[in-house]
Amino acid sequence: MEYDENGVSIVSNDFKKEIFEEAKKDFRYEEYVRGCLNCGVCTGGCPPHRFFDFSPRMVLQNCKSNDPALVWGMMDEYVWACFQCFTCAMICPFLNNPGGVIAILREISVRRGFESAKKVLKPYSRVLLKLTAYGNQLSPDMIQPDFFPDWGPHIGYASEDLPLKRKAIPMPTLQVTNLAWDVAPEAMKELYTIFEEAGVFKIIEVVDPSLYEIIQDIVDDVRSE
Amino acid sequence: MAENILVIGGGPAGLHAAIELAELGVNVSLVERDTFFGGNPKKFKYKYLFPDLQPAENVIGELIKGAESNNNIKKYLSANIESFKEDGKKFSAVIKSSTGSETKTFDSVIVATGFEHFDPAKDSKYSYQLFDDVIDIKDLERMMGEGNFTRPSNGKPPKNVAIILCVGSRDRHVGNQYCSRVCCTVSVKQAIELKEHFPETEVYIFYMDIRTYGFYEDLYWKAMEEHDVQIVKGRVAEITSGPDNTVICKGEDTLLRGPFEIPFDMVVLASGMEGGPQSPEMADKLGIELDEHGFLKQANVTLSPFKSNKDGIFLAGACTGPKAIADAILEGGAAAMDAYIYAKKNS
Repeated sequence: MEYDENGVSIVSNDFKKEIFEEAKKDFRYEEYVRGCLNCGVCTGGCPPHRFFDFSPRMVLQNCKSNDPALVWGMMDEYVWACFQCFTCAMICPFLNNPGGVIAILREISVRRGFESAKKVLKPYSRVLLKLTAYGNQLSPDMIQPDFFPDWGPHIGYASEDLPLKRKAIPMPTLQVTNLAWDVAPEAMKELYTIFEEAGVFKIIEVVDPSLYEIIQDIVDDVRSE
Repeated sequence: MAENILVIGGGPAGLHAAIELAELGVNVSLVERDTFFGGNPKKFKYKYLFPDLQPAENVIGELIKGAESNNNIKKYLSANIESFKEDGKKFSAVIKSSTGSETKTFDSVIVATGFEHFDPAKDSKYSYQLFDDVIDIKDLERMMGEGNFTRPSNGKPPKNVAIILCVGSRDRHVGNQYCSRVCCTVSVKQAIELKEHFPETEVYIFYMDIRTYGFYEDLYWKAMEEHDVQIVKGRVAEITSGPDNTVICKGEDTLLRGPFEIPFDMVVLASGMEGGPQSPEMADKLGIELDEHGFLKQANVTLSPFKSNKDGIFLAGACTGPKAIADAILEGGAAAMDAYIYAKKNS
């Protein structure tokens, strides 16, 4: 993939148009994008705007411009800067929903397996694997310095000697580190059905094919039990 | 025999209508719910009226004097219309006041029940009533009318003041989609007054659009050119408490500086105008229509703006939508003409 001077991937104009049309076809789009007079109240209240070059006002304006290139410009990095807190939607006097537009664009990015989506979702593959294998989102053995930089300088200590620390917790912990709680196979099978119906497996196949293969093996195993 | 006309509401529109009709020899019954005439300008002690900054007291005082000194006007204070019904082409109304109930027959009726100021506490992002130094347009007008320009929290002169436009107007969240028309002009006027009183005070106006329509355009030029008022494009998203007894306005300067969080000594919310509870009450009592914004509905907004949808009942002033005092007075006269013609034809 090649990128222009703004870090936006270079694609044909027809492709940009196709993506914009896909967004506009979403049943929520009309509800989310209304009038906008650049009052800036959305961006004024936007938490990520304090830290990043991200502005819900620009999201709305780019959509209102009807220029597929401007919308495409948000597809790589921009859409992933939003916190999805929907403060913008709560205060916009026109009842626009820039956060909702971001959700639509992110879903397109994931459905189509864009590089940026793959990059952003990579850390979550551990969670997905744990979820499909054990029905748990998070277990003690997932606490590793590489994955929890936001835990600060104590993450090193927190990730050592897990079995011993686990034993010290004065409540039932299964005495294992790969599970937080036990999930019945029936519940797991129901979860797979939901994933299938909701298209989650399909999304995983697009975003991370090798993860998909591993997950399918686990699903087959549990289902044949 | 002289015509009998009922005027409901003793604000600028109702007073002017009553005086004009009385001058024509009509027997006017002027019904006012408050204990005084003069409407909101009197109630909230407006100080100066735009655009020429003449004292509100002179204008309203003149109208009150005109009504009080005219013997053709029967004045009812602390009064309301207890019941109302049509009687052929005429109307029969029971007026209840402190002196008791009175049943009268009228040839026509003028409704001039005015507006209510939007209560900014209804929009929580502005923290009105949470911080002493967050006040609104009518609070400041009253304060200035009393000669008080200082901070409510400590009585000291403010180092800087933020004026926020479009509070309770043009906002689907609060349910008022319309522009209240006068707040821009009043706010710019207040900014100039503040600067004249405290030249050292920094005054900011945060706007979505400045709508000082027509000749009032001069006013914000004056504010910028003569008083260095900072006019910033961006609606404020949140007001929180700040250090040293300040309130912080958080928003986006959409044209120049991007995100801002500025501590202010005082914030003035330019709250808009609403039809108030009296509009549906009148609609219900008189059997006339309400529009989708909560004001009384004009029969035809261009052709017959002073007629209601019911023959013989006419409308004047801010009860049909936000407007300036000059416009309300003008409408009082126009509705008086319509009501007089109707009465003349049918009496």
